[in-house]
Amino acid sequence: MSDDRRRTPRWRRYLRLTRPNVREDVDDELAFHIDMRTERNIALGMSPDDARREAEQRFGDVAPLRDALVDHDVKQHARIERAELLSDLRHDVRFGTRSLLRAPGFTIAAALTLALGIGANAAIFSVIDALLLRPLPYSRPHQLVSLGFGSAGEYLALRERLRSVEQLSAWVEQTHPIDDGHETVRAEGAAVTANLLSMLGVSPAMGRGFTPQDGTVGNNFVVIISHGMWQHRFGGAADVVGRRLNIEGAPYTIIGVMPSSFSFPNKNTEYWQPYVFELRNVGIIWAVGGKKFIGRLAAGASVEQARREVRTVWPSLRRMNPLWDPGDSYGRDASVTPLQDDIVGSARALAWMLFGSVLLVLLIACVNVANLQLVRATARERELAVRAALGGGRGRLMRQLVTESVLLALCGAVLGIGVGALAIRALVAALPAGVPRADEIALSLPVLAYAAVLSIATGLVFGIVPAWRATSPKTSVGSIVGFGRRATAGPSHVGTSAALVAGEVALAVMLAVSSILLLRSFVALRSTSTGFDAENVIAARVTPPGATFHEPERLTAFYSTLLDRARALPGVRGAAAVDKLPMAQSVWGVALRIEHQFEDAKHTLPDLGHYQSVTPDYFTTMGIPIQQGRAFSDADRPGAPPVVIVSRSVARRFWPNEDAIGKRVGYPYDTLWMTIVGVVPDTKQDSLRDTLSTSVYTPWRQRSRMSGEEMWLVVRATGDPASIAASIRRIVAEADRTVAVSDVRTMNAVVDRSLSTTRFTTVLVASFAALALLLGAVGIYGVMSYLVSQRTREMGIRVALGATRSQVVRLIVSRALRLAAAGGVVGLGAALMTTRALRQWLYGVSPSDPTTLAIVAVVFLVVAVVASSAPALRATRVDPSTSLRAE
Amino acid sequence: MPRQDTGDLLQGTLGILILKSLVPSSAHGYAIARWIEDAATDVLRIEEGSLYPALRRLEDRGLVSSEWGLSENNRRARYYSITAAGRKHLRTEAAVWLRYSQAVTRVLRTEPSVT
Repeated sequence: MSDDRRRTPRWRRYLRLTRPNVREDVDDELAFHIDMRTERNIALGMSPDDARREAEQRFGDVAPLRDALVDHDVKQHARIERAELLSDLRHDVRFGTRSLLRAPGFTIAAALTLALGIGANAAIFSVIDALLLRPLPYSRPHQLVSLGFGSAGEYLALRERLRSVEQLSAWVEQTHPIDDGHETVRAEGAAVTANLLSMLGVSPAMGRGFTPQDGTVGNNFVVIISHGMWQHRFGGAADVVGRRLNIEGAPYTIIGVMPSSFSFPNKNTEYWQPYVFELRNVGIIWAVGGKKFIGRLAAGASVEQARREVRTVWPSLRRMNPLWDPGDSYGRDASVTPLQDDIVGSARALAWMLFGSVLLVLLIACVNVANLQLVRATARERELAVRAALGGGRGRLMRQLVTESVLLALCGAVLGIGVGALAIRALVAALPAGVPRADEIALSLPVLAYAAVLSIATGLVFGIVPAWRATSPKTSVGSIVGFGRRATAGPSHVGTSAALVAGEVALAVMLAVSSILLLRSFVALRSTSTGFDAENVIAARVTPPGATFHEPERLTAFYSTLLDRARALPGVRGAAAVDKLPMAQSVWGVALRIEHQFEDAKHTLPDLGHYQSVTPDYFTTMGIPIQQGRAFSDADRPGAPPVVIVSRSVARRFWPNEDAIGKRVGYPYDTLWMTIVGVVPDTKQDSLRDTLSTSVYTPWRQRSRMSGEEMWLVVRATGDPASIAASIRRIVAEADRTVAVSDVRTMNAVVDRSLSTTRFTTVLVASFAALALLLGAVGIYGVMSYLVSQRTREMGIRVALGATRSQVVRLIVSRALRLAAAGGVVGLGAALMTTRALRQWLYGVSPSDPTTLAIVAVVFLVVAVVASSAPALRATRVDPSTSLRAE
Repeated sequence: MPRQDTGDLLQGTLGILILKSLVPSSAHGYAIARWIEDAATDVLRIEEGSLYPALRRLEDRGLVSSEWGLSENNRRARYYSITAAGRKHLRTEAAVWLRYSQAVTRVLRTEPSVT
């Protein structure tokens, strides 16, 4: 590249009418040479033919020379164009920076608006990235699939038969009291088949993994602990492998420590023990489901192939069940899903919904900045017109303005990443419990890349429309001569601005509708009756070690002592225990035989929604009235006639026209009949959204053999229940120091926590909507101010002709109202179409709830009035004489 | 680029001749060829086509620049002119060449004379 070429004056480039035609130029140049030589030869006296022949001979072979020159020139031109483009870009960036610095107010306002939009987006994208985009931290994670739930028997049969699933593992969550020699705490762990860790492709950082031998009865007292447990409970001791850890009262040998990066199924899991197949116990092997099956696909097998295979193989196990016939539909709808989808679960839809909302916010921010740009373009009209007159083509000028916009967006992105970093911290802190992979949410590289791409995209989005308008030939003509600046600037710009603001209002309305729907759902959920009286009740999870409390007598004695001590506490009105506490966990149900209706276990038995074992005082302690019959009593003990209490819906479903008291029900794999002695109202069990109203209660002392040792203590106090939390911890420790007590919370807090996801979503979408509303208001204010400033002369004339202040105000405000109304109608229409996607988060309110639509409409009209009142008042202060003279 | 062939001319010499031809004024390729022909009589014969690759090389190095214009007989022709860098290059190259040829001449004239 020559220095000379680089110094070619910029304006000269615009003189080129067309791109050079390289081929033609080379031909011309060579032909010219040969022609000139031929002419000279003729002048020297040669015949024309000889003259040309001699000239060509002197010149040499033309064809290869021509090709070489064309090739050279094509490359040369490409180089020049690239260099010019780069130098243009450098120039545009310098120019853009200067022009942004010249208008600091505009630049700061625009950059902040964009920073909010980009920051909020980066924050939500970090959730998307951690939950949905980043692969699971296991080896070849795309091959991992979840096969749903089943029993140990089903696991063993499937493991043998499946071809498309190379390795199949099973695991089940465990929560046990563990004792490291200092204190007893309840710890979360998992019992896993020996092949699980190697299937995930992760081996312990210290010690060894499980061997099949570890999964057999008697050899199973080995445990692998998490990096966290190693650090916190063993102080990171180098000799931890080989030490003892008491799990549910039994001594386990630590054989390995997992790396700190490992988590399965989640970060709270502190230990892994081998799952033991008690092959002799047919009941446990075939009747107890709930084992989670995960597997690794064979090389080349797809999820779809595996699903087809599982749906043929699983039904073929029907005859293997020695206990009952699971029915015709058995195993036919077995699911095979990628493990990642299974782990993320319902959080997926939530993440996308938030992402959609936050994109709307960004769009609104873009529209606002585009509007600011437009207003500014008017002020720069002369500058642009001069540039155009000096030969700056429209494309070139637009490129300059768009470069400026992208620069602005990049400023926004830098600030936005700061905003995003803060927002991510706040978001992670506010995240509801149980969001999978929450610990992976961070301002990661993909998030930064996303913010960068987003900012350039937004720069283009909000830059192109104003640049197009500003460089429109219509606006340029005349401005240059200096006359009629007011006259030419007016209506067309205002029109574009107004259209943009109307669009902005439409977007904000969509968000506002969504947020009010969610808000109303939240309020509706909060006021939903649980069916029990949470006031003054406190609950605590009590976990006795299974190994030492296996004897029913010991467990019964322990809980009797505990309940007696609880009742003896000052300020306590009553105490009871329940195996699954409502609103704190999934209160799963049971399939039952119903006498005279569904007796044959070979037929599909009706599923009842919830199933709990309770001590006699449970109903009075929880404030659940007995509607018919009686409550349980101490007389309902082992050996006494088995009894149950059912909820109102159960009675209504099976005995609609009869008295349910005295009717009998039974477990599927048993011959025992249990008599219904009482009916209680339906209560919410899993959550406030719970729609399964069928509950069955058994006296705890007549509990099924399957129930565990863990119970929830519920205590009704006379006053503030929180004040007896410490006493509850103390009496558990006094009753037996090997028993862990955890999750001591008032029942109100438990109910409140069950709403945490709903609250989180509602608050987040509401803040997006508030942001959108604010930006919308700023947009209306901006365009009305602009309008007023453009129509100063008109206002002056109106006032001069005797218009009153209120008439002028009404003129401006009604213009704003029309703008908001136009945007609002479009927005409400769009909201009607999109809010259906929210259905799964709504409760007690329809997606097209008219009240909500009305509220939003009113809010936006009020905002339009407020936002336009300041410009309107400014218009009334126009002094007719000055404004007319100013022209 | 093919056609590196410069007839009887040593590699690199053609460039110097072209630059020299452009010192008084800019010229098109044919005029350059004529100038070399006249100045060197028949001692240095060039294949005229090889001028053009040489001109491109000089242009790439920033020693000459080109522009389209009208010829004396009103035809579109590409005119080459020497740049400031080209003049400087010509001065140093010419000095080197002169020193070199003087040295060779001196060697050839020493006894026993070959001529």
